[in-house]
Amino acid sequence: MRLSPERGAKGSIISTNRSLCDWLQSPGSPAIVDGEKLPMTILERLAGRQVLVITGKGGVGKSAITAALGSLLAAQGRRVLLVEIDPRENLHQMLGIPPSGGELVQVQPRLALQNLRARQVIEETVHEHLRVAILSRRVVASPVFQHFVGGAPGLKEMAVLWHALRVLGGRDGRRGSFDTVLLDAPATGHALSLLMAPLLVSDVIQGGPFGRMARDLSVLVRDAGRTGVIVVTRAEEMPAREAIELGAGLEARIGLRPVLLVVNGVYPPFPVHAPPASDVSHLVMRLWQRRREVNEREIVRLEREWPGPRIELPLVPVARGPALLKMLARDLEHWLRSNG
Amino acid sequence: MLFDRHSLVVVVGSGGVGKTTLAAALGVQAADSGLDTLVMTFDPSFRLKDALGVGDAVQDREVRVSLDAPGVLAASLLDARETFDRLVRRYAPDEAAARRILDNRFYQHLAGNLAGILEYMAVERLFEVAAEDRYDLIVLDTPPTRQALDFLQAPDRIVGFLDSGALGLALRPWFDAQGRLKATARLGGLGHRVEVFLDRVIGLDLLREMAEFFQAFAPLYEGFRERATNVQALLGAPETTFVLVAGPGEERIPETLFFARRLGEAGHHLGSLIVNMVHPRGTAPVTDMDEETAAGVRVFAWLGERDAQGLAALDTLLAPSQPLIDLPLLPDEPTDIPALRALGHIVGAKLAGSFREADRHEGRDLRARAR
Repeated sequence: MRLSPERGAKGSIISTNRSLCDWLQSPGSPAIVDGEKLPMTILERLAGRQVLVITGKGGVGKSAITAALGSLLAAQGRRVLLVEIDPRENLHQMLGIPPSGGELVQVQPRLALQNLRARQVIEETVHEHLRVAILSRRVVASPVFQHFVGGAPGLKEMAVLWHALRVLGGRDGRRGSFDTVLLDAPATGHALSLLMAPLLVSDVIQGGPFGRMARDLSVLVRDAGRTGVIVVTRAEEMPAREAIELGAGLEARIGLRPVLLVVNGVYPPFPVHAPPASDVSHLVMRLWQRRREVNEREIVRLEREWPGPRIELPLVPVARGPALLKMLARDLEHWLRSNG
Repeated sequence: MLFDRHSLVVVVGSGGVGKTTLAAALGVQAADSGLDTLVMTFDPSFRLKDALGVGDAVQDREVRVSLDAPGVLAASLLDARETFDRLVRRYAPDEAAARRILDNRFYQHLAGNLAGILEYMAVERLFEVAAEDRYDLIVLDTPPTRQALDFLQAPDRIVGFLDSGALGLALRPWFDAQGRLKATARLGGLGHRVEVFLDRVIGLDLLREMAEFFQAFAPLYEGFRERATNVQALLGAPETTFVLVAGPGEERIPETLFFARRLGEAGHHLGSLIVNMVHPRGTAPVTDMDEETAAGVRVFAWLGERDAQGLAALDTLLAPSQPLIDLPLLPDEPTDIPALRALGHIVGAKLAGSFREADRHEGRDLRARAR
């Protein structure tokens, strides 16, 4: 296990930090079995989880990382479902396929994609319980129900998690259709409300199917061995600040520490000996130098304030799509395998 | 020019595209042209907060920005921690009425977690400031939500939520003296099944809390509804214009067009589209360079091309009468007044040029239609 910074093949700074040791020894870490520390790489640890929530500020590259991670885990033998919780679809671009339109699309033998409509899941639950179709239609159509579902804190988010739990199976010993669900969460604040939703709902609704749902999901969410949060950020002030706040918020409010921080889109290192001004545009050189300085400053901050594993990925001159997915998956695999 | 015809400029766009900085720059530019201006922000960086002088100590009051300009520039920051509680306290007829709401269990969950609460607070604040009529121009930055238009829908959503409950509950109490759901009692056997269902699925206790909440909220309801309606009117008025800020690159285009279309559909005036943080184009070819320099130049060349292509594509997809400008990615993010001023000048000049261009096209269209 490496603790000192080192330069990776493409000149990126790939490093871990001292508190990685502390993290490994924390009770929630699945690397501890019977008091013995097993030599597990982070990749194996990620692959062992049932739910991975990928979150981060808008524009940091969540979808790209979700797709890459999903394809990586599928290659490790896990049956993976990528779930997108955004009416405007993005994930499909990385996979080079048309939008899913809400349907479950099998992309590869062990990799599927779905754009989830939360309302649908809730309505299905109502239909399951109110056998009389006319009645359930009336209930679902009633303004109070619509607004209760639309406005009531937690229900829609809980529906998403419920869908994940359903496809994972595991109830009555039945094997589900997937081993790991990756949730591409919409934006930083929403990841917290997504995971807190069952806790909120179970506070307010104790009985009935929603009460049970909330309880089952609360157990899932609080179990660090089953659920993991991956935060994606940029090495820039605002995203980095938000990432740190999110990490702290998750720990404080749910007791769940993020399993991985992905710092995406880092500018290449600025050359020590800059070429003569005539060779390259002065503006480009200045832009590069300053942007790289900001990156390095923020990486130092993250190193100081982020407890747990952190990976930095360089900015690559490749458009969103299968080629980029391959590169990201390769970078991720290389790092996740060599760190434990 | 953007400011000549409008007294409210709403800056919308998804997160991470430099909205707040641009809103601040527009504010400085407006003050420089002699207008008393207020910039309302939600999520400024630490440095921007310092430059404008807003922050925790000040809460959501307006502060005067120290700027040497013909017009006054003020700034405010909506405190993200500000809760619905303040509104309830402000508009409740008396302390007892406020307590009835604030102590309600359903309300306690609602207030912290109802989707759109931050956007709604922004709307309320805008209403207050606009009503005071102390500024020539208000530049409203919008909260960094995933969907830029969440802000516009916030009043509708909150009012709709109140509507569904208030109409049904405040006017006709749901529960009769026996504590049964009155509405369902009238349905006989069928009603009983609905009641059992509701109890099993949601819990009659919760429903009772909800009923109690809506009844307690009744005195405030009209006020909320009226204010929300007024803000809707304000957002749709001819004196209000929208500026949509987007990131560069072709992959952002569907999202950008989606926002632009939705704004139009909602009857709002899209003053200008601003594609921000555009990488420079045309770097030198990679010859006789060491690998390190070559790697960087390659990345920047690719970024410059990508952004240029994105801009060109967007341009073809927009009507010629729709102003569109682009702003470069700056080596240093503008976080002090001189930098904001410089950015403001650039934006002002580009907008002026773009509007002239757009007017010419619109004139041409009108003349063509008239023939």
